Amino acid sequence: MIGKVGWSAQRSRESMDDLERLYKTHYAAVVRFLYRKIWDADRAEDLAQEVFIRAMAHRPEKPRAWIFAVAANLARDEARAAIRRKKHLTLLKDDPIPLSTPDPSADDAVEHDERWEQVSGALATLTERDREVLLLWDAGLSYPEVAAQTGLAVGAVGTTLARARKRLIEAYDKMGFQPAHAARS
Amino acid sequence: MRHVPEVELHAYLDQALSRSQCVEIETHLATCAHCHGQRDEIAALRDRTTALLGQLTPRSLILPPAFETLAARKPVVAAAAVWRDRFRRAGLWAASLAAAVGAGWAGRSVFDSHPTPPAVASSLPHPLPVLLADPVADLARQATPIPIQEHPTRFVAARPAGYRQADAIAPAPTLQLVAALLPMHEASPTGPFAVTHPDTHSPFDRIWRSVTWEEALRIAGSGLPFIEGLPVVGVLLQPGAAGERPTVIVAQQDPGGEVIQSIEGPVAKVSELLDRQATPDLHASEPARTTPDYVEGPGGVRRTLRILSVTGRLPVDSLNALARLATIR
Repeated sequence: MIGKVGWSAQRSRESMDDLERLYKTHYAAVVRFLYRKIWDADRAEDLAQEVFIRAMAHRPEKPRAWIFAVAANLARDEARAAIRRKKHLTLLKDDPIPLSTPDPSADDAVEHDERWEQVSGALATLTERDREVLLLWDAGLSYPEVAAQTGLAVGAVGTTLARARKRLIEAYDKMGFQPAHAARS
Repeated sequence: MRHVPEVELHAYLDQALSRSQCVEIETHLATCAHCHGQRDEIAALRDRTTALLGQLTPRSLILPPAFETLAARKPVVAAAAVWRDRFRRAGLWAASLAAAVGAGWAGRSVFDSHPTPPAVASSLPHPLPVLLADPVADLARQATPIPIQEHPTRFVAARPAGYRQADAIAPAPTLQLVAALLPMHEASPTGPFAVTHPDTHSPFDRIWRSVTWEEALRIAGSGLPFIEGLPVVGVLLQPGAAGERPTVIVAQQDPGGEVIQSIEGPVAKVSELLDRQATPDLHASEPARTTPDYVEGPGGVRRTLRILSVTGRLPVDSLNALARLATIR
């Protein structure tokens, strides 16, 4: 028979194990989610780690929804701080943007940068709510989890998501992306 | 035949429907070319959205640091979170207290039949209004520009012997970090305006007061910031903890009619005030160090850093230039 202290310790260990699993599977998603809000890769990683550290202290019942809720709040605070420090988010485009290929050609790098700017520009045209729902969905949250975080009804998540997808694609197409090499030829 | 609504197709592809709803839709899709085509379109839209968002990835490979490393950082971050919560709670208390005092102050001005002695603010064509929760923003918003005229007692024509320039400007771009690292000193209020609340330990427990220049001089004794050559249009003061000088905001008007505020006080307090000025058009100069407070406590003498920052709706360079003109009595 497990005593009260033993049961509590076991439960705490299980909760920590769950959190560790969640950390391994969702860390990258949280970083991406934060990055798409604050556009600073290093800061996004810092904040993602802070989110999980807080989760360790709080041991939330629904950890996946909780970490994205905390991440959204931290991103909001960060954006406010950025405005305060007069660091416009787009200034970060001066930073070299890591590329997905190890040794990209100059053309590929230019093309990547252009596409990055157009996608982020298209994302910026969405309303805050549409953007939030889209990013949460892309981070892997279910409709009920997105609804709980945004305050929408579960039924409204589908509507918002459908609208957000359409608007993102429309805005991106309107910008008329042309690959650099295609534009020259 | 009833077609499947577009939103339901999105939800179906997102696997957000129940098993029975999925079966119903799949049955319909097997016989309806229109809905089948629409399903394909939505699937393509969905895939394209995912691909576009995939472009916005900070790195091709995001590797989490070891979980144990994170666990080791837990106490530090948790302590910072506690302080953030305290700030938030203290801010709420300050807002409610300021509102209460503001209401009382307004009532006093309306019902008091005795004329108040002449003072800086009362000599203005438009007296300063009641304080709200955010003293800096409040002052900036409500200090009404006045026509520039001769104010012999308000203008500082020449620097008196007792005045000295603020200490060397030491840019502190990481003010927020400093504020986060330095714990706020426990409030141990003194003076006639001190108010405490048992649940908080923040200096924001004390009330901001709108005072005349003379009153401010009397209460502060020293540490009043001002920019030479500009008329003073208002002074806000918050008494400090035991042994600490108060935090002071002096509003002055520049020749263009803009209201400039010089904020001087402990680092944490000034940082908090600057934090609240999160409006894009309101800027702040680089903070400059002023004379620190030396507070005697049980563990010996403690040094509390103080800074000065000049804020207003002017470019940062202009505010930096004004900050260099600022004088601390």
